[in-house]
Amino acid sequence: MSRQASGLMAWVIQRATAVYLALFLSYLLIQLAFNAPVDHAALVAWVSHPVVALGLVLFVPLLLAHAWVGIRDVLLDYVHVLGLRIGLLTLFAFVFIASGLWAFKAIITAGLQG
Amino acid sequence: MQTTRPVFLDLWRIKLPIPAVVSILHRISGVLMLLAIPLAAILFHQALSGPAGFEQVAGILGFWLVKLILLILAWSLLHHLFAGIRYLLLDLGLGLDRPAARQSAWTALIAAVVVLVIGGVLAL
Amino acid sequence: MKISVYRYNPDTDTKPRMQDYEVKTFQGMMLRDALLEVKKQDESFSFRHSCGEGVCGSDGVNVNGRNVLACITPITELKEPIQVRPFPGRPVIRDLVVDMTQFYEQYRAVKPYLVRKDPLPEQEILQSPEERDKLDGLYECILCGCCSTACPSFWWNPEKFHGPAALLQSWRFLADSRDQATEERLDALDGPYKLFRCHSIMNCVEVCPKGLNPTRAIGKIKDLMLDKGV
Ligand code: HEM
Ligand code: SF4
Ligand code: SF4
Ligand code: FES
Repeated sequence: MSRQASGLMAWVIQRATAVYLALFLSYLLIQLAFNAPVDHAALVAWVSHPVVALGLVLFVPLLLAHAWVGIRDVLLDYVHVLGLRIGLLTLFAFVFIASGLWAFKAIITAGLQG
Repeated sequence: MQTTRPVFLDLWRIKLPIPAVVSILHRISGVLMLLAIPLAAILFHQALSGPAGFEQVAGILGFWLVKLILLILAWSLLHHLFAGIRYLLLDLGLGLDRPAARQSAWTALIAAVVVLVIGGVLAL
Repeated sequence: MKISVYRYNPDTDTKPRMQDYEVKTFQGMMLRDALLEVKKQDESFSFRHSCGEGVCGSDGVNVNGRNVLACITPITELKEPIQVRPFPGRPVIRDLVVDMTQFYEQYRAVKPYLVRKDPLPEQEILQSPEERDKLDGLYECILCGCCSTACPSFWWNPEKFHGPAALLQSWRFLADSRDQATEERLDALDGPYKLFRCHSIMNCVEVCPKGLNPTRAIGKIKDLMLDKGV
Protein backbone atom coordinates (compact mmCIF):
# COMPACT_ATOMS: atom_id res chain seq x y z
CA MET A 1 0.00 0.00 0.00
CA SER A 2 1.36 3.36 -0.99
CA ARG A 3 0.51 4.83 2.39
CA GLN A 4 3.49 3.09 3.94
CA ALA A 5 6.08 4.64 1.68
CA SER A 6 7.97 7.88 2.08
CA GLY A 7 5.43 9.96 3.99
CA LEU A 8 4.01 8.21 7.01
CA MET A 9 6.90 5.77 7.40
CA ALA A 10 9.56 8.48 7.43
CA TRP A 11 7.50 10.39 9.98
CA VAL A 12 7.15 7.34 12.22
CA ILE A 13 10.88 6.57 11.99
CA GLN A 14 11.67 10.16 12.98
CA ARG A 15 9.49 9.87 16.09
CA ALA A 16 10.54 6.38 17.13
CA THR A 17 14.25 7.13 16.81
CA ALA A 18 13.75 10.46 18.61
CA VAL A 19 12.54 8.66 21.74
CA TYR A 20 15.65 6.50 21.94
CA LEU A 21 17.92 9.42 21.10
CA ALA A 22 16.39 11.55 23.82
CA LEU A 23 17.08 8.88 26.44
CA PHE A 24 20.52 7.82 25.30
CA LEU A 25 21.84 11.31 24.54
CA SER A 26 20.67 12.55 27.95
CA TYR A 27 22.73 9.77 29.52
CA LEU A 28 25.67 10.50 27.23
CA LEU A 29 25.60 14.22 27.95
CA ILE A 30 25.52 13.73 31.73
CA GLN A 31 28.24 11.08 31.55
CA LEU A 32 30.56 13.24 29.42
CA ALA A 33 29.93 16.41 31.39
CA PHE A 34 30.48 14.98 34.86
CA ASN A 35 32.35 11.71 34.50
CA ALA A 36 34.36 11.88 31.29
CA PRO A 37 36.95 9.10 30.91
CA VAL A 38 40.34 10.49 31.91
CA ASP A 39 42.55 8.18 29.88
CA HIS A 40 42.44 5.51 27.19
CA ALA A 41 42.01 2.64 29.64
CA ALA A 42 39.03 4.35 31.28
CA LEU A 43 37.45 5.02 27.88
CA VAL A 44 37.88 1.40 26.78
CA ALA A 45 36.47 0.17 30.08
CA TRP A 46 33.44 2.44 29.67
CA VAL A 47 32.76 1.62 26.00
CA SER A 48 33.20 -2.13 26.51
CA HIS A 49 30.84 -2.27 29.48
CA PRO A 50 28.06 -4.51 28.13
CA VAL A 51 25.22 -2.08 28.78
CA VAL A 52 27.08 0.89 27.32
CA ALA A 53 28.27 -1.15 24.34
CA LEU A 54 24.73 -2.31 23.62
CA GLY A 55 23.48 1.24 24.00
CA LEU A 56 26.08 2.50 21.55
CA VAL A 57 25.48 -0.26 19.02
CA LEU A 58 21.79 0.69 18.98
CA PHE A 59 22.54 4.41 19.06
CA VAL A 60 24.62 4.52 15.88
CA PRO A 61 22.06 3.22 13.36
CA LEU A 62 19.12 4.97 15.07
CA LEU A 63 20.99 8.28 15.08
CA LEU A 64 21.86 7.89 11.40
CA ALA A 65 18.29 6.99 10.48
CA HIS A 66 17.03 10.04 12.38
CA ALA A 67 19.62 12.32 10.82
CA TRP A 68 18.91 10.98 7.34
CA VAL A 69 15.16 11.52 7.57
CA GLY A 70 15.96 14.93 9.06
CA ILE A 71 18.26 16.09 6.29
CA ARG A 72 15.85 14.71 3.72
CA ASP A 73 13.09 16.86 5.22
CA VAL A 74 15.32 19.92 5.09
CA LEU A 75 16.36 19.28 1.49
CA LEU A 76 12.77 18.60 0.38
CA ASP A 77 11.84 22.02 1.70
CA TYR A 78 14.66 24.10 0.27
CA VAL A 79 16.37 22.30 -2.63
CA HIS A 80 14.00 22.14 -5.59
CA VAL A 81 16.46 21.13 -8.29
CA LEU A 82 15.95 17.37 -8.43
CA GLY A 83 19.49 16.47 -9.50
CA LEU A 84 21.07 18.59 -6.79
CA ARG A 85 18.76 17.19 -4.14
CA ILE A 86 19.49 13.60 -5.10
CA GLY A 87 23.20 14.38 -5.23
CA LEU A 88 23.17 15.88 -1.75
CA LEU A 89 21.06 13.03 -0.36
CA THR A 90 23.50 10.52 -1.81
CA LEU A 91 26.45 12.41 -0.38
CA PHE A 92 24.87 12.49 3.08
CA ALA A 93 23.98 8.80 2.84
CA PHE A 94 27.60 7.89 2.03
CA VAL A 95 29.03 10.11 4.77
CA PHE A 96 26.56 8.71 7.31
CA ILE A 97 27.24 5.08 6.37
CA ALA A 98 30.99 5.62 6.49
CA SER A 99 30.67 7.36 9.88
CA GLY A 100 28.52 4.53 11.20
CA LEU A 101 30.92 1.80 10.06
CA TRP A 102 33.88 3.70 11.47
CA ALA A 103 32.13 4.07 14.84
CA PHE A 104 31.20 0.37 14.82
CA LYS A 105 34.79 -0.59 14.14
CA ALA A 106 35.87 1.51 17.13
CA ILE A 107 33.28 -0.11 19.40
CA ILE A 108 34.22 -3.63 18.32
CA THR A 109 37.95 -2.94 18.71
CA ALA A 110 37.32 -1.61 22.20
CA GLY A 111 35.30 -4.73 23.00
CA LEU A 112 38.24 -6.92 21.97
CA GLN A 113 40.66 -4.85 24.05
CA GLY A 114 38.51 -4.65 27.15
CA MET B 1 2.08 30.51 -13.19
CA GLN B 2 3.10 34.08 -13.92
CA THR B 3 6.68 34.45 -12.81
CA THR B 4 7.12 38.13 -13.63
CA ARG B 5 4.90 39.13 -10.73
CA PRO B 6 6.57 40.29 -7.54
CA VAL B 7 6.21 38.16 -4.44
CA PHE B 8 6.32 39.59 -0.95
CA LEU B 9 8.48 37.23 1.06
CA ASP B 10 10.93 39.46 2.96
CA LEU B 11 11.45 37.10 5.85
CA TRP B 12 12.76 39.85 8.15
CA ARG B 13 9.48 41.77 7.73
CA ILE B 14 7.29 38.81 8.63
CA LYS B 15 6.71 38.31 12.32
CA LEU B 16 7.92 34.98 13.62
CA PRO B 17 5.75 33.85 16.53
CA ILE B 18 7.76 32.18 19.29
CA PRO B 19 6.79 28.61 18.24
CA ALA B 20 8.21 29.41 14.80
CA VAL B 21 11.46 30.68 16.35
CA VAL B 22 11.82 27.45 18.32
CA SER B 23 11.01 25.51 15.17
CA ILE B 24 13.66 27.12 12.98
CA LEU B 25 16.22 26.76 15.78
CA HIS B 26 15.26 23.08 16.04
CA ARG B 27 16.06 22.73 12.37
CA ILE B 28 19.34 24.68 12.58
CA SER B 29 20.45 22.72 15.65
CA GLY B 30 19.64 19.42 13.93
CA VAL B 31 21.67 20.35 10.87
CA LEU B 32 24.62 21.54 12.99
CA MET B 33 24.74 18.23 14.86
CA LEU B 34 24.36 16.29 11.67
CA LEU B 35 27.36 18.04 10.13
CA ALA B 36 29.37 17.02 13.19
CA ILE B 37 28.59 13.31 12.76
CA PRO B 38 31.62 12.39 10.59
CA LEU B 39 33.97 14.39 12.82
CA ALA B 40 32.56 12.75 15.93
CA ALA B 41 33.04 9.31 14.36
CA ILE B 42 36.66 10.07 13.48
CA LEU B 43 37.47 11.42 16.96
CA PHE B 44 35.68 8.54 18.68
CA HIS B 45 37.64 6.02 16.63
CA GLN B 46 40.92 7.84 17.24
CA ALA B 47 40.38 8.11 21.00
CA LEU B 48 39.75 4.36 21.20
CA SER B 49 42.73 3.45 18.99
CA GLY B 50 45.26 3.55 21.85
CA PRO B 51 46.70 5.76 24.62
CA ALA B 52 48.50 7.95 22.06
CA GLY B 53 45.28 8.43 20.08
CA PHE B 54 43.38 9.31 23.26
CA GLU B 55 45.92 11.98 24.20
CA GLN B 56 45.77 13.38 20.67
CA VAL B 57 41.96 13.70 20.81
CA ALA B 58 42.13 15.19 24.30
CA GLY B 59 44.55 17.75 22.91
CA ILE B 60 42.26 18.62 20.00
CA LEU B 61 39.23 18.95 22.28
CA GLY B 62 41.19 21.25 24.57
CA PHE B 63 41.85 23.80 21.82
CA TRP B 64 39.77 26.96 22.38
CA LEU B 65 38.19 27.04 18.93
CA VAL B 66 37.16 23.40 19.28
CA LYS B 67 35.78 24.20 22.73
CA LEU B 68 33.65 26.93 21.20
CA ILE B 69 32.32 24.47 18.63
CA LEU B 70 31.60 21.98 21.42
CA LEU B 71 29.69 24.69 23.28
CA ILE B 72 27.56 25.40 20.20
CA LEU B 73 26.96 21.68 19.74
CA ALA B 74 25.99 21.33 23.39
CA TRP B 75 23.42 24.10 22.99
CA SER B 76 22.25 22.48 19.76
CA LEU B 77 21.73 19.17 21.48
CA LEU B 78 19.88 20.71 24.42
CA HIS B 79 17.65 22.92 22.27
CA HIS B 80 16.92 20.08 19.85
CA LEU B 81 16.21 17.78 22.79
CA PHE B 82 13.75 20.10 24.53
CA ALA B 83 12.12 21.29 21.32
CA GLY B 84 12.03 17.66 20.13
CA ILE B 85 10.24 16.53 23.29
CA ARG B 86 7.80 19.40 22.73
CA TYR B 87 7.12 18.10 19.20
CA LEU B 88 6.57 14.59 20.45
CA LEU B 89 4.03 15.93 22.95
CA LEU B 90 2.31 17.94 20.20
CA ASP B 91 2.15 14.74 18.15
CA LEU B 92 0.43 13.09 21.09
CA GLY B 93 -2.13 15.89 20.95
CA LEU B 94 -0.80 17.69 24.03
CA GLY B 95 -0.39 21.47 24.14
CA LEU B 96 -1.92 22.20 20.75
CA ASP B 97 -3.91 25.26 21.81
CA ARG B 98 -2.30 28.58 21.03
CA PRO B 99 -1.49 29.71 24.59
CA ALA B 100 -0.10 26.29 25.52
CA ALA B 101 1.96 26.10 22.33
CA ARG B 102 3.46 29.51 22.99
CA GLN B 103 4.23 28.63 26.58
CA SER B 104 5.89 25.32 25.76
CA ALA B 105 7.94 27.04 23.05
CA TRP B 106 9.25 29.58 25.57
CA THR B 107 9.93 26.77 28.01
CA ALA B 108 11.98 24.77 25.50
CA LEU B 109 13.89 27.85 24.37
CA ILE B 110 14.80 28.95 27.88
CA ALA B 111 15.36 25.47 29.29
CA ALA B 112 18.13 24.77 26.78
CA VAL B 113 20.03 27.92 27.75
CA VAL B 114 19.48 27.43 31.48
CA VAL B 115 20.59 23.80 31.43
CA LEU B 116 23.60 24.74 29.31
CA VAL B 117 24.68 27.41 31.79
CA ILE B 118 24.03 25.32 34.91
CA GLY B 119 25.66 22.26 33.39
CA GLY B 120 28.63 24.30 32.23
CA VAL B 121 29.15 25.83 35.68
CA LEU B 122 28.87 22.45 37.43
CA ALA B 123 31.09 20.60 34.98
CA LEU B 124 33.95 23.12 34.99
CA MET C 1 -2.34 58.41 11.71
CA LYS C 2 0.28 57.32 9.22
CA ILE C 3 -0.29 54.18 7.20
CA SER C 4 2.23 52.74 4.82
CA VAL C 5 0.95 50.44 2.07
CA TYR C 6 2.56 48.18 -0.49
CA ARG C 7 2.07 49.47 -4.02
CA TYR C 8 2.62 47.69 -7.28
CA ASN C 9 1.05 48.46 -10.63
CA PRO C 10 1.96 45.85 -13.24
CA ASP C 11 1.49 48.34 -16.09
CA THR C 12 3.87 51.00 -14.83
CA ASP C 13 6.06 49.56 -12.06
CA THR C 14 8.97 47.21 -12.39
CA LYS C 15 9.32 46.90 -8.61
CA PRO C 16 6.91 47.17 -5.70
CA ARG C 17 7.33 50.12 -3.29
CA MET C 18 5.81 51.36 -0.02
CA GLN C 19 3.69 54.50 -0.07
CA ASP C 20 2.66 56.55 2.98
CA TYR C 21 -0.76 58.06 3.59
CA GLU C 22 -2.12 60.24 6.37
CA VAL C 23 -5.49 58.94 7.56
CA LYS C 24 -7.93 60.43 10.10
CA THR C 25 -8.98 57.88 12.68
CA PHE C 26 -12.30 57.44 14.42
CA GLN C 27 -13.65 55.42 17.30
CA GLY C 28 -13.94 51.72 16.42
CA MET C 29 -11.99 52.11 13.18
CA MET C 30 -10.90 48.88 11.60
CA LEU C 31 -7.94 48.41 9.29
CA ARG C 32 -10.36 48.01 6.39
CA ASP C 33 -11.74 51.48 7.10
CA ALA C 34 -8.20 52.84 6.94
CA LEU C 35 -7.61 51.13 3.60
CA LEU C 36 -10.92 52.52 2.29
CA GLU C 37 -9.75 55.97 3.38
CA VAL C 38 -6.50 55.45 1.45
CA LYS C 39 -8.57 54.42 -1.55
CA LYS C 40 -10.59 57.64 -1.22
CA GLN C 41 -7.40 59.67 -1.30
CA ASP C 42 -5.82 57.64 -4.08
CA GLU C 43 -8.15 55.98 -6.58
CA SER C 44 -5.33 53.87 -8.03
CA PHE C 45 -4.96 51.83 -4.85
CA SER C 46 -6.54 48.33 -4.89
CA PHE C 47 -7.37 45.77 -2.28
CA ARG C 48 -10.00 43.04 -1.97
CA HIS C 49 -12.85 43.24 0.53
CA SER C 50 -16.55 42.60 0.68
CA CYS C 51 -18.57 41.71 3.77
CA GLY C 52 -16.82 43.94 6.29
CA GLU C 53 -17.50 41.55 9.15
CA GLY C 54 -15.04 38.68 8.93
CA VAL C 55 -17.29 36.34 6.99
CA CYS C 56 -16.32 36.41 3.33
CA GLY C 57 -12.60 35.94 3.88
CA SER C 58 -11.53 38.24 1.06
CA ASP C 59 -9.53 40.96 2.82
CA GLY C 60 -6.62 39.04 4.24
CA VAL C 61 -3.44 41.15 4.33
CA ASN C 62 -0.11 41.15 6.12
CA VAL C 63 0.06 43.95 8.69
CA ASN C 64 3.25 44.64 10.58
CA GLY C 65 4.37 41.13 9.68
CA ARG C 66 1.19 39.30 10.65
CA ASN C 67 -1.62 37.94 8.50
CA VAL C 68 -5.06 39.31 9.47
CA LEU C 69 -8.50 40.07 8.07
CA ALA C 70 -8.48 43.85 7.69
CA CYS C 71 -12.19 44.25 8.51
CA ILE C 72 -11.97 42.76 12.00
CA THR C 73 -8.60 44.21 12.99
CA PRO C 74 -9.02 47.37 15.10
CA ILE C 75 -6.34 49.90 14.24
CA THR C 76 -5.87 50.56 17.95
CA GLU C 77 -4.34 47.08 18.17
CA LEU C 78 -1.68 47.95 15.61
CA LYS C 79 1.65 49.56 16.38
CA GLU C 80 2.47 52.66 14.30
CA PRO C 81 3.79 53.02 11.68
CA ILE C 82 1.25 50.59 10.28
CA GLN C 83 2.73 48.72 7.36
CA VAL C 84 0.31 46.85 5.14
CA ARG C 85 1.63 44.31 2.67
CA PRO C 86 0.04 41.54 0.60
CA PHE C 87 -0.01 37.92 1.81
CA PRO C 88 3.52 36.49 1.88
CA GLY C 89 4.60 34.11 -0.84
CA ARG C 90 1.76 34.85 -3.27
CA PRO C 91 2.33 36.46 -6.68
CA VAL C 92 1.12 40.07 -6.52
CA ILE C 93 -1.44 41.03 -9.15
CA ARG C 94 -1.67 44.64 -8.02
CA ASP C 95 -1.06 46.41 -4.70
CA LEU C 96 -2.57 44.18 -1.99
CA VAL C 97 -4.34 41.89 -4.45
CA VAL C 98 -2.59 38.54 -4.75
CA ASP C 99 -3.05 35.47 -6.92
CA MET C 100 -4.54 32.73 -4.71
CA THR C 101 -4.82 30.12 -7.49
CA GLN C 102 -2.44 27.64 -5.89
CA PHE C 103 -4.28 27.96 -2.58
CA TYR C 104 -7.60 27.08 -4.25
CA GLU C 105 -6.00 24.26 -6.23
CA GLN C 106 -4.76 22.73 -3.00
CA TYR C 107 -8.27 23.07 -1.57
CA ARG C 108 -9.75 21.38 -4.63
CA ALA C 109 -7.18 18.59 -4.37
CA VAL C 110 -8.53 17.34 -1.02
CA LYS C 111 -12.00 16.72 -2.51
CA PRO C 112 -13.87 19.09 -0.17
CA TYR C 113 -17.24 17.39 -0.50
CA LEU C 114 -18.97 14.25 0.74
CA VAL C 115 -18.17 11.11 -1.19
CA ARG C 116 -20.88 8.41 -1.01
CA LYS C 117 -20.57 4.87 -2.26
CA ASP C 118 -23.96 3.63 -1.03
CA PRO C 119 -26.89 4.71 -3.13
CA LEU C 120 -28.18 8.08 -1.95
CA PRO C 121 -31.24 7.81 0.31
CA GLU C 122 -34.57 9.38 -0.59
CA GLN C 123 -34.20 11.97 2.17
CA GLU C 124 -31.18 13.41 3.98
CA ILE C 125 -28.32 11.26 5.30
CA LEU C 126 -28.83 11.10 9.04
CA GLN C 127 -26.17 12.08 11.54
CA SER C 128 -26.32 11.87 15.34
CA PRO C 129 -25.67 15.02 17.41
CA GLU C 130 -22.38 13.46 18.60
CA GLU C 131 -21.27 12.82 15.03
CA ARG C 132 -22.20 16.35 14.09
CA ASP C 133 -20.18 17.72 17.02
CA LYS C 134 -17.02 16.30 15.45
CA LEU C 135 -17.29 18.93 12.71
CA ASP C 136 -17.12 21.84 15.14
CA GLY C 137 -13.89 23.77 14.73
CA LEU C 138 -13.66 22.55 11.14
CA TYR C 139 -16.66 23.74 9.17
CA GLU C 140 -16.23 27.36 10.30
CA CYS C 141 -13.25 27.92 7.98
CA ILE C 142 -13.88 30.81 5.59
CA LEU C 143 -10.93 30.01 3.30
CA CYS C 144 -9.37 33.39 3.86
CA GLY C 145 -5.87 31.96 3.40
CA CYS C 146 -4.33 33.73 6.41
CA CYS C 147 -3.00 30.39 7.64
CA SER C 148 -1.55 28.85 4.49
CA THR C 149 0.19 32.06 3.46
CA ALA C 150 1.77 32.28 6.93
CA CYS C 151 3.03 28.70 6.72
CA PRO C 152 6.73 28.36 5.83
CA SER C 153 6.16 24.91 4.39
CA PHE C 154 3.57 26.41 2.03
CA TRP C 155 6.01 29.18 1.05
CA TRP C 156 8.62 26.63 -0.05
CA ASN C 157 6.29 24.12 -1.72
CA PRO C 158 2.92 25.73 -2.59
CA GLU C 159 2.43 23.46 -5.58
CA LYS C 160 3.06 20.24 -3.64
CA PHE C 161 2.13 20.82 0.03
CA HIS C 162 -1.62 21.14 0.61
CA GLY C 163 -1.15 23.72 3.35
CA PRO C 164 -3.11 24.14 6.60
CA ALA C 165 -6.42 25.39 5.15
CA ALA C 166 -6.80 22.49 2.71
CA LEU C 167 -5.66 19.96 5.31
CA LEU C 168 -8.18 21.30 7.84
CA GLN C 169 -10.85 20.69 5.19
CA SER C 170 -9.42 17.27 4.42
CA TRP C 171 -9.96 16.36 8.08
CA ARG C 172 -13.38 18.02 8.00
CA PHE C 173 -14.50 15.37 5.50
CA LEU C 174 -12.51 12.50 7.02
CA ALA C 175 -14.24 13.28 10.33
CA ASP C 176 -17.71 13.38 8.77
CA SER C 177 -19.71 10.23 9.53
CA ARG C 178 -21.51 10.59 6.19
CA ASP C 179 -18.35 10.42 4.11
CA GLN C 180 -17.33 7.03 2.70
CA ALA C 181 -13.95 7.70 1.13
CA THR C 182 -11.65 7.44 4.17
CA GLU C 183 -9.22 4.99 2.57
CA GLU C 184 -8.97 6.91 -0.68
CA ARG C 185 -8.50 10.21 1.11
CA LEU C 186 -5.72 8.82 3.31
CA ASP C 187 -4.00 7.11 0.38
CA ALA C 188 -4.08 10.36 -1.55
CA LEU C 189 -2.35 12.17 1.31
CA ASP C 190 0.67 9.89 1.54
CA GLY C 191 4.07 10.69 0.18
CA PRO C 192 6.50 13.26 1.52
CA TYR C 193 4.71 16.39 0.33
CA LYS C 194 0.94 16.78 0.53
CA LEU C 195 0.59 16.27 4.29
CA PHE C 196 4.06 15.54 5.60
CA ARG C 197 5.67 18.90 4.79
CA CYS C 198 3.93 20.13 7.93
CA HIS C 199 6.51 20.50 10.71
CA SER C 200 4.11 21.65 13.46
CA ILE C 201 5.42 25.20 13.20
CA MET C 202 1.91 26.37 14.14
CA ASN C 203 2.02 29.72 12.36
CA CYS C 204 -1.39 28.69 11.02
CA VAL C 205 -2.80 28.48 14.54
CA GLU C 206 -1.17 31.80 15.42
CA VAL C 207 -3.02 33.71 12.70
CA CYS C 208 -6.38 32.03 12.04
CA PRO C 209 -8.97 34.82 12.51
CA LYS C 210 -11.62 32.21 13.31
CA GLY C 211 -9.52 30.63 16.06
CA LEU C 212 -9.33 27.31 14.24
CA ASN C 213 -6.50 24.84 14.72
CA PRO C 214 -5.16 23.25 11.51
CA THR C 215 -2.22 21.70 13.38
CA ARG C 216 -4.62 19.68 15.51
CA ALA C 217 -6.52 18.58 12.38
CA ILE C 218 -3.25 17.52 10.75
CA GLY C 219 -2.39 15.51 13.86
CA LYS C 220 -5.79 13.79 13.71
CA ILE C 221 -5.15 12.83 10.08
CA LYS C 222 -1.79 11.31 11.05
CA ASP C 223 -3.44 9.42 13.92
CA LEU C 224 -6.03 8.00 11.57
CA MET C 225 -3.30 6.99 9.09
CA LEU C 226 -1.44 5.19 11.87
CA ASP C 227 -4.65 3.55 12.99
CA LYS C 228 -5.46 2.28 9.50
CA GLY C 229 -1.97 1.73 8.15
CA VAL C 230 0.34 0.32 10.77
C1 HEM D 1 18.16 14.43 21.56
C2 HEM D 1 17.24 13.68 21.08
C3 HEM D 1 16.48 14.07 19.85
C4 HEM D 1 15.13 14.27 19.80
C5 HEM D 1 14.14 14.15 20.95
C6 HEM D 1 14.82 14.64 18.44
C7 HEM D 1 13.57 14.88 17.97
C8 HEM D 1 13.26 15.27 16.70
C9 HEM D 1 11.94 15.41 16.17
C10 HEM D 1 10.64 15.16 16.93
C11 HEM D 1 12.05 15.80 14.89
C12 HEM D 1 10.92 16.06 13.91
C13 HEM D 1 10.66 17.49 13.74
C14 HEM D 1 9.78 17.77 12.58
O1 HEM D 1 9.22 16.87 11.96
O2 HEM D 1 9.65 18.94 12.27
C15 HEM D 1 13.45 15.93 14.61
C16 HEM D 1 13.98 16.36 13.42
C17 HEM D 1 15.31 16.42 13.12
N1 HEM D 1 16.35 15.96 13.92
FE1 HEM D 1 16.18 15.33 15.80
N2 HEM D 1 15.98 14.66 17.70
C18 HEM D 1 17.02 14.31 18.53
C19 HEM D 1 18.36 14.21 18.19
C20 HEM D 1 18.87 14.58 16.97
C21 HEM D 1 20.27 14.54 16.63
C22 HEM D 1 21.40 14.08 17.55
C23 HEM D 1 20.37 15.01 15.34
C24 HEM D 1 21.55 15.21 14.45
C25 HEM D 1 22.63 14.55 14.46
C26 HEM D 1 19.06 15.33 14.89
C27 HEM D 1 18.76 15.86 13.67
C28 HEM D 1 17.52 16.20 13.23
C29 HEM D 1 17.24 16.86 11.99
C30 HEM D 1 18.26 17.32 10.95
C31 HEM D 1 15.85 17.00 11.92
C32 HEM D 1 15.04 17.64 10.80
C33 HEM D 1 14.74 19.03 11.20
C34 HEM D 1 13.57 19.61 10.48
O3 HEM D 1 12.88 18.94 9.71
O4 HEM D 1 13.33 20.80 10.70
N3 HEM D 1 18.16 15.06 15.90
N4 HEM D 1 14.18 15.60 15.72
S1 SF4 E 1 -8.28 27.84 8.80
FE1 SF4 E 1 -8.60 29.91 9.54
S2 SF4 E 1 -6.94 31.09 8.60
FE2 SF4 E 1 -7.08 29.19 7.50
S3 SF4 E 1 -8.37 29.65 5.74
FE3 SF4 E 1 -9.70 28.81 7.36
S4 SF4 E 1 -10.43 30.58 8.47
FE4 SF4 E 1 -8.71 31.30 7.23
S1 SF4 F 1 1.66 23.64 11.70
FE1 SF4 F 1 2.00 22.77 9.69
S2 SF4 F 1 0.45 23.67 8.46
FE2 SF4 F 1 0.54 24.94 10.30
S3 SF4 F 1 1.96 26.58 9.74
FE3 SF4 F 1 3.12 24.92 10.58
S4 SF4 F 1 3.87 23.67 8.93
FE4 SF4 F 1 2.21 24.97 8.22
S1 FES G 1 -14.28 41.88 4.20
FE1 FES G 1 -15.15 39.89 4.38
S2 FES G 1 -13.78 38.95 5.78
FE2 FES G 1 -13.07 41.01 5.78
